[in-house]
Amino acid sequence: MRQNSIRRRLIATVVLSQLLLAAGLVFAGVFYTQRRLLAALDAGVQSRALSVAALVRYTEDASGNVYFDETLMPQSLDPSHPDLFAVWAERSGLLTRSSNWPGGLAISPNEQPEHWDFPWGEVPYRALRVSHVPVLDREEGKAFQPQTLTIVYAAPMVSLQEQVRAAGFFIALASLVLLAITVLLALWGIRRGLLPLQNLTAQAAAVSAQTWDFRVPEEALQSEELRPLIEAMVLMLARLQDSFQQQKEFLANATHELKTPVAVLKSTLQLVLQRPRTAEEYRAGLERSLEDLERLERLLQGMLRLARAEQWSRGTLRRDLQPIDLAATCQEAAERIRGLAEARRVEIKLSSNGAVALKADPEDLQLVWMNLLENAVRYSPEGALVEVGITRNTNNFVQVVFADHGPGIPASELPHIFDRFYRGDPSRARATGGFGLGLAISKAVIEAYGGTIRAESASELGTRMTVELPTPDAR
Amino acid sequence: MRVLIVEDEPRLAENIARSLRESAGYAVDVAPDGEEGLFLAEANVYDAVLLDLMLPKLGGMEVLTRIRKAGQHTPVLVLTARDDKESVVALLNAGADDYLTKPFDLGELLARVKALIRRGKGQPAPVLSIGDLQLNTVNRTVRRGGKAVPLTAMEYRVLEYLLHRPRAVVSKTELLEHLYDYNWEKFSNVIEVYISGLRRKLDDGSSHHLIHTMRGQGYILQE
Repeated sequence: MRQNSIRRRLIATVVLSQLLLAAGLVFAGVFYTQRRLLAALDAGVQSRALSVAALVRYTEDASGNVYFDETLMPQSLDPSHPDLFAVWAERSGLLTRSSNWPGGLAISPNEQPEHWDFPWGEVPYRALRVSHVPVLDREEGKAFQPQTLTIVYAAPMVSLQEQVRAAGFFIALASLVLLAITVLLALWGIRRGLLPLQNLTAQAAAVSAQTWDFRVPEEALQSEELRPLIEAMVLMLARLQDSFQQQKEFLANATHELKTPVAVLKSTLQLVLQRPRTAEEYRAGLERSLEDLERLERLLQGMLRLARAEQWSRGTLRRDLQPIDLAATCQEAAERIRGLAEARRVEIKLSSNGAVALKADPEDLQLVWMNLLENAVRYSPEGALVEVGITRNTNNFVQVVFADHGPGIPASELPHIFDRFYRGDPSRARATGGFGLGLAISKAVIEAYGGTIRAESASELGTRMTVELPTPDAR
Repeated sequence: MRVLIVEDEPRLAENIARSLRESAGYAVDVAPDGEEGLFLAEANVYDAVLLDLMLPKLGGMEVLTRIRKAGQHTPVLVLTARDDKESVVALLNAGADDYLTKPFDLGELLARVKALIRRGKGQPAPVLSIGDLQLNTVNRTVRRGGKAVPLTAMEYRVLEYLLHRPRAVVSKTELLEHLYDYNWEKFSNVIEVYISGLRRKLDDGSSHHLIHTMRGQGYILQE
């Protein structure tokens, strides 16, 4: 993939915009200078035309004829390229032309525009036509018809073009120098501006599974653009660390928990092999090994189920869910636990306010109900009642409550009962064959369905487990 | 020899106990939790204690500390699921003599218990001897003057104990306490039977007696 550099793009943008600015400046400058110079030239040409007009005089008679007095010719505007002019009198037509008037240049006084440009030879000329100029010369006391004049005066634009070119060159040069300075400034500014990003990168690169310490550079934190990124990173890191820690803990717990059943199985087998035995003894030994193995298998199954449920609750694994009736799954779980309940003479009472339709895997929910029921039955005194209440709430969730009348859970243990491998009283759990996984699995499964589970307990009064699950309308 | 096992996993405790009884001929008591373990350790005389760390009621570490605080020198072998350096160091510093991490090898456990008992009685060599009598604790054989002496399991156990305390007077009660588990009183009058059996087999063809009776005090093993 082609690598994109933000810095390079920023610099390119700056250079491009500066170039555009410079070009605009040169164009505008040249245009303005030309307009101004042209206006000045036009004014100069007009005044020359008028001074040429002033050289036209009446003859010393009453005919009203005019003549041109060449003796008082004004200097050309540009000595190297002399001006051209022609004067027409109202009645007698072309009166005079400058001596350098080009032979092939035919101008009709009445058809020309006021201003126009024309090239002559290699030289561009600016021409002006002034009409109805009265002859200034007044012979006092003579009565004749006065004449008006039409003058065409043209001056070369060589120096104007040179000046415009010089101005354009100057503006362009100044723009280029400024451009170089601004680009350098931009380079420095961008480098300086991106420094917090670099520091941030270095800090982020230092984060690893061993050192989760993410030290946010103060400068980066003050940057308005970087702050959301940093906040997202901190949040992401926290989540990652949490997840990583969970996995690590799980692995450590699992390894620790696996050691005991493995030790049991190993010792059973080694005991059998310790010396030659009769077939009967071998048989008994193998049976004992099988029992140990089954216990190990149960632990492994529990751990796998927990790992899977925790994966679902993180939303990484989606399965096909089917519409089920929650009360039916409770009924089924109670049925499956009946044997244990009867052995302990514990009665399970189920009550619900109507069917609750839910999209779920019935096996998942049954597993949770069975775990909760089994705990409730095991910790109930003989002949006690375990109540299961299903309440469909109007707030789009269903509440399932398991209440027993057992000894309750000590307040110090209550916050930990949903932790993996947590056993309140190890001897009691061991005696019941528990691994401390049931409630952890239940919690993970319920959370996978977007629900919550909580426990309340009062000493000598019993324990209340409350599960809340969102119903389809809530989703 | 008499050993106490404090272990809450019943199957594991049972396996270790059976192995110690079968392969080493030790008397074994089992306590399923820390409280009972401490009670038994204080009430009886053990040649070694096998202690699990994760125990209900009273943790293994606490049991160990209390045993040592009471001034008992009984060798203690700790069974633990954790083998990180810190916990091992803490264990040994608390007074444990050795440790084994689960899952362990029964053979190794046996060897370590035997070694602990030998060291506890100031007998580091696996072959115990006095005069021309030799007892190999590894393969449990007895020789006198190079000749193998076949003994019954109980006779071997009596001789092994006496050899651990050579040239010392060992009372009948002491023998009973170390050779039987908690119901030893039932066997109080069988010691004489084993002693006379031992005398007969050991002194066979030899004019030099090794086991002497100190009237009213007990027995003494010496050249």
